[in-house]
Amino acid sequence: MKTVLAALLVLVLGSAPAWAVLGEYESSVSSDQKYLRGEVRAMALQGYSVQQITGADRTVVKEYVSPAGLVFGISWQGPTMPDLQQLLGSSFSEFQQAAQSRVRRRGPLVLRTDRLVVESGGHLRSFHGRAYLPSLLPKNIPAEVVR
Amino acid sequence: MKVRKGSIAKLVFSLGLSAGLLVLASCGNGGGSSTNTNPPPVSNTQPMEVNLGPANNYTNGLFTDVTLCVPGSSSCQTINNVLVDSGSVGLRILSSQVTLSLPAITDNSSNGLQECLAFADGSYLWGAVQAADVKLAGEKAASVPLQMINAPNTGLAVPSQCLSSGGANVGTVTALGANGILGIGNFRQDCGGDCTGASSQVPALYYLCPNTVCQVASVPLAFQLQNPVWLFPQDNNGVLISLPSIPADGAPTVSGSLIFGIGTQSNNGLGTARIYTTDAFGNFQTTFNNIAYSQSFIDSGSNGFYFLDAQTLGIPDCSDLPGFYCPASTVNSTATNTGLNGTTAQVSFSIANADALFSANSGSNAAFNDLGGDNPGGFDWGMPFFFGRNVFVGIEGQTGPNGVVGPYWAYGPGGASIN
Repeated sequence: MKTVLAALLVLVLGSAPAWAVLGEYESSVSSDQKYLRGEVRAMALQGYSVQQITGADRTVVKEYVSPAGLVFGISWQGPTMPDLQQLLGSSFSEFQQAAQSRVRRRGPLVLRTDRLVVESGGHLRSFHGRAYLPSLLPKNIPAEVVR
Repeated sequence: MKVRKGSIAKLVFSLGLSAGLLVLASCGNGGGSSTNTNPPPVSNTQPMEVNLGPANNYTNGLFTDVTLCVPGSSSCQTINNVLVDSGSVGLRILSSQVTLSLPAITDNSSNGLQECLAFADGSYLWGAVQAADVKLAGEKAASVPLQMINAPNTGLAVPSQCLSSGGANVGTVTALGANGILGIGNFRQDCGGDCTGASSQVPALYYLCPNTVCQVASVPLAFQLQNPVWLFPQDNNGVLISLPSIPADGAPTVSGSLIFGIGTQSNNGLGTARIYTTDAFGNFQTTFNNIAYSQSFIDSGSNGFYFLDAQTLGIPDCSDLPGFYCPASTVNSTATNTGLNGTTAQVSFSIANADALFSANSGSNAAFNDLGGDNPGGFDWGMPFFFGRNVFVGIEGQTGPNGVVGPYWAYGPGGASIN
């Protein structure tokens, strides 16, 4: 509970960096809502919930939240690449390292480690992708729900 | 916005106001599909070659030459080794390769328009938007907005939004593996209507940087990067990419043709190719093992067949080359492509062991028709798809054969004897 309060406090105080979504508490969704200038729609499903943010620029971001209130996955769809620094939070540097060490591949990106999975594909006007933290998947919820 | 120096097109343009009609009228480039007069045929065939590229490091890179001229002048320069990309729109040239001084596109306060394009793998290109006459084969498009990658002397730092895609700035010959990108995809502009709304509502693609502080900008259609093809006076409804068949273990170089127009001259008819219309974003449907994937596309800028993942396919990834498939022996597969217009047909394709491909012929092969890799959740029909085919790229709003209006793809067997 202390952790929850601490996380909320950081957000309320707005201290930088409040950029944190994947792997953070649900309340960080509001910082994405702000960045996307979008509307949020929440859906409660069996074993997890989804917050869908539709941005002014047609970008749609979905954030998958566990019963413990942690964002275990995100997905995106939009005309340009989204702000992955914002969406991946503390996992961004790991993604960045993979993205900057491409070998021979020219096309979509797939990063798969025990800790983090990121898949990014598409083309201008139609980018899409998803990211999740395998260790945070709720019990009996497969990674395929993040889409 | 206006073109500085050249005064080719002038528009008093205020931030947040979209003036698309005014701009198009003042731009002077009709380029539309309805032509009452038939201009005399021009040479519409531009040679292309698949090779390792100017950095000697590109797998399945399709290259051509592009001639740029200072608008309205005979001051021209030919840039070689420009990547032909059916998955993007607009001409992007490394400033390090350009000796011409081209006019900048600016707002009415003389702030130069900038662009940051991030690709799906996070890598990005940053640079100024400038205008040039573009010549390809005998075709010429006047005053085309293009991206001058890493343009010098702007005094601008790359905006933070540009870095947030996570990839590297690939604006060098070594990193890009090319001297530029010729985007001849399904659209007239790179961004289109998405970028013409209020500046608080447009995606982060274009920037204006008063006092060197860059902010995302709304840009009228005519000042966005343009597909040069739709600005040609003729042969402007799309392109035909024609490449011959190659052996299963690859080839060091492959020559092909980039032919302008679809059904406009004797060398660019559909033949037996069938038309697959796409959704508003250039995607069609691919069905594989009875599962439909709705965001499929054909992309000469993707260097492999990128589709699904090792677990779904039962094909192992290469242990030393993550993201490429390494089956013990070549896997033959079929998938079904379906256009929005209902055209549907099977595609047969093969996936070979990428490690074996890259070491064949002492590692000197650049072209492969059976290189595959991961793209979970979808199908990206990259360069391997093009070998042994005629692939037609129909541009949005332009009328093609049988009155079909783009965006669409069409493809069929071919690639051997087009001239």
